[in-house]
Amino acid sequence: MSGYQSDHIKKAISERNNRSLWKKMADWTRDRPEGGIAVMFIVAQVVCVIAALAMPDQFRYLSQPNIAVFFKAMAPLGIMALGVGTLMIAGEYDLSVGMLFSFLSIVCATLTNDWGGDIGAENASAIVPFVALLIVLVLGALIGSAHAFITLRFSIPSFITTLGAMLFWRSATLFYHGAVALRYKPSEPFFSMFGGVFLDLFSSSIIWLAIMSVLFYFLLHHHRLGNHFYAVGGNKNAAIAIGIDPARTKTIAFAIAGTMAAFSGVLAATRVGSIQPGGGAGMELQAIAASVIGGAALTGGRGSILGIVLGTALVFTIQDVLLLIRAPAYYFDGFVGLLIVLAVIMNTAVRRSKA
Amino acid sequence: MTNDQLRHPSAGDHLPVDAPIRGSAPKETPLFELRNIQKRYGSFVALKDMDFYINRNEVIGLLGDNGAGKSTLVKMISGINPPTSGEIYVNGKRTEFRRRSDSEAAGIETIYQDIALVDSMSITRNIFMGREIVNKWGFMDHQKMEETAADILGSAVQISGIDDPRKEVGFLSGGQKQAVAIARAVHFKRNILLLDEPTSALSVRETEHLLGYVRNLKQEGTSSVLVTHNLYHAYMVCDRFVVMSHGTKVFEAEKKDTTIEELTDHVIRT
Repeated sequence: MSGYQSDHIKKAISERNNRSLWKKMADWTRDRPEGGIAVMFIVAQVVCVIAALAMPDQFRYLSQPNIAVFFKAMAPLGIMALGVGTLMIAGEYDLSVGMLFSFLSIVCATLTNDWGGDIGAENASAIVPFVALLIVLVLGALIGSAHAFITLRFSIPSFITTLGAMLFWRSATLFYHGAVALRYKPSEPFFSMFGGVFLDLFSSSIIWLAIMSVLFYFLLHHHRLGNHFYAVGGNKNAAIAIGIDPARTKTIAFAIAGTMAAFSGVLAATRVGSIQPGGGAGMELQAIAASVIGGAALTGGRGSILGIVLGTALVFTIQDVLLLIRAPAYYFDGFVGLLIVLAVIMNTAVRRSKA
Repeated sequence: MTNDQLRHPSAGDHLPVDAPIRGSAPKETPLFELRNIQKRYGSFVALKDMDFYINRNEVIGLLGDNGAGKSTLVKMISGINPPTSGEIYVNGKRTEFRRRSDSEAAGIETIYQDIALVDSMSITRNIFMGREIVNKWGFMDHQKMEETAADILGSAVQISGIDDPRKEVGFLSGGQKQAVAIARAVHFKRNILLLDEPTSALSVRETEHLLGYVRNLKQEGTSSVLVTHNLYHAYMVCDRFVVMSHGTKVFEAEKKDTTIEELTDHVIRT
């Protein structure tokens, strides 16, 4: 069969590639969920910056301490959301990540302290904190794989598996450590690498979020494995029919979510210097919220790394603004709740107008 | 009873039932062969005593009413539905068919009745799903996949209205989706193409084009199995017919030995 029938397709492709930059961006914001959220994010930033310039004394949005705190606070949730969002794209949930955040950071701190990695210890070991981090990252992957095994082996919804796991790991945390706070001041260079601040503005944690976002971007959007996440999340039976193993693919996604929960827990603990055993409670829902705001579908198969990062940033912009205008803390949940519903309405409207 | 009565039976007619015809034995080593296949789901028997073979350069019509076991058989040949017992031979060599990769190794591609596409992914990504063009680190070559997709879409079936391989499959019409599934299977097929009700959502012109294409494939050395309700389509393109009923083979004949009337009788009577 001759190739001439492809001509109209090739013409359409080249027309698309030759759109003006302006048209490309307009199409992107209209057609992609993360495009819509990007517009929302930029509008929010512009409004905040104008307000900050107009009232520099009342609204300190652009002050150096505010920006530094914003970056620091955002990173742990952002890193957790990368894992949770990836798992959602593969069509599963992990509600236990908030508790793993607490449990695994406590394990990491306990190991570090026991093995002489505390910065106050005599001849503090420089290696121990890294070893402890590595151990909990592997533990996170193993625990995630265990959640995957139970979910897939018995064909039960991961919502249930990880709801049970959330309660289980909460008990495990208290069993392992009790309800008291735990000191975590790892030795150098670990502390600077994971809890330091550069130029009085950028915390190490936001740099880790940036690195992780780039890695996840290439994994999800450019690697074969990422394509398989979308396939098993979008239509499991189609993936099986074409030869993709959903159990293997989903297990990897669960392991990634567990690992990221461990990493975000250790990052947050390094910044604060101590760990509250209940500190991760509620983070699992915030991570899901950030992913959903960024365009991830609850049914799987949809979502993007840019969307997850922007979703997280938008959540923290709300928090930041509320703090700056000295609103009561309970305002936060209300606004995030509104944002979730608004974002999903927007995405659904986009789908419907295109169909 | 006359042939005419057989074709248009009234409610009171007693229809004679022939003993099942186990069919012909292959004359040479077939490309693919199933022997004495059983498939059970719990106590339900989906396939029993099923023998089936595919020769080189052959188009087979797999016929039968709803629930006859045609799709079960197709999924078995595709490797995603392993038999409970029985033997599978590829080129005369005993082979296990436990997963899709087994049938892929045998050069078999399938166009599934339920389409097997992911709505949330683009046309290109659907075509290359599980067979992405990647470098040695597993990263995808998007440009090459898109160019190939454009070629595939233009050549397999002339599909009305598809002009962008980056479009999400969820936004396509039923016929366009089917065309994408056909294009994918046609691109990757090597020895055998299975078509499970491939024309159900196609227009008349697209159907003719696809059936003509199946004939052409035979010239190029690819055998096909066409599963269809439409006996006229089957009779137009197939060399041999297998009629199934209640999970087993009830009739088998080469085109020269049968007529469309006889095929119709076997499909409706059993």
